Amino acid sequence: MTEPDDIDGLAAEYVLGTLDAGERAAVAARRQREVALDAAIVSWESRLAALSDVVPPIAPPSGLFSKIEARLHAVSSVGISHAAAVVALTRRLNSWRVAAITASSIAAALLVAFGATQFAPKPKGKNLVAVLQKDAQSPAFLVSVNVDDRVMTVRPVSAKHEAGKSYELWIIHESLGKPKSLGVVDDAAPTRAPTLAAYKPDVLEASTYAVTLEPEGGSPSGDPTGPIVFSGKMIEATGY
Amino acid sequence: MTTVGELSNLLLRVAERDAAAFKVVYGATSSKLYGIILRILRRRDVADEVLQEVYVKIWDRASDFNPAIASPITWMATIARNRAIDEVRRKRPESFEDHPEIVDVPADDPSALSILMRGEDGRRLADCLSRLDDGKRQMVVLAYCDGLSRDELAAQYGQPVNTIKTWLRRSLAQLKGCLSS
Repeated sequence: MTEPDDIDGLAAEYVLGTLDAGERAAVAARRQREVALDAAIVSWESRLAALSDVVPPIAPPSGLFSKIEARLHAVSSVGISHAAAVVALTRRLNSWRVAAITASSIAAALLVAFGATQFAPKPKGKNLVAVLQKDAQSPAFLVSVNVDDRVMTVRPVSAKHEAGKSYELWIIHESLGKPKSLGVVDDAAPTRAPTLAAYKPDVLEASTYAVTLEPEGGSPSGDPTGPIVFSGKMIEATGY
Repeated sequence: MTTVGELSNLLLRVAERDAAAFKVVYGATSSKLYGIILRILRRRDVADEVLQEVYVKIWDRASDFNPAIASPITWMATIARNRAIDEVRRKRPESFEDHPEIVDVPADDPSALSILMRGEDGRRLADCLSRLDDGKRQMVVLAYCDGLSRDELAAQYGQPVNTIKTWLRRSLAQLKGCLSS
């Protein structure tokens, strides 16, 4: 483990790129709240930046920009309407908590909220939404997937920040064997991850999605190590 | 060729959701970023995917860009390197030996570095790199450009991982000292 006072050495190695996955994730998380570490990283980025001149430029494949545009279009049209819906949803949470409502009625309410934002262009393809929750009164994360683009957005609704821990999202389906990680999800801001390319649409639709509480930066082993704190299933979102 | 000032202005427009500016930014920078990403990942299919994610991130985070802190290309290259290294640390897709032809960084030749590295900052960094021992300089360049981890460097140099860590930290401290003198 790194000596606590060697922030500069840690920042230098982070920027150089030689830390392993766990150390990198830990530094990325620490810099969010440690100003000194963040400043050291920014300094090192600037110090070493000229080294990337050594790497020869290579033109990317010609069709790549249109794929990026398609991805941005899919995400912004879905994302904006979701964002508006989540704001409305979060405002309503208190009244939701006191009302004993079922998971399906939360999902239905979400779709009504999404349906209300009709000014957003209709996204192409099939969209799935899952409300991840501990019980019917406490939706914690909202996972939405555009099946065609395999782009996933995870929005925190009421997940509490746990010091020194990270929330990690898993996809669980019998065809996959063990639960497969979809990455660490932020408890304060939306996480957008096009990490679903490996999964077939019918698997995405039929899977259970679960969030575990893991050591900061995510499970060190690649398998879930903490308890499942929230889970849910996908439903098709046709209302937006 | 897009100047630093032009690129900064374009990014400020991207922050205001200007799709035309974004397209110009892509045209001006994608070869540089793709080169960086492909060098680290060594697989075109993975690099194609990562490049898309990087530009989505550039679009999303353009409002974070601050020309007072970093040049536009440094800001974008940092996003690309971070994403590529995160990807390669999850699982190195191919062994180092599969593509020896692309591991041709002129790390052994300080004069080549000083030719390639542009601008005042580049000249100073090349000069400071030239003061490191040959092996240490090569290690720093391989780590930065090719994305080698401590473990991979340890295998490459036939040294224990802790020795590599010590060498890296000392070399980086020496570089910092040289650059600030």
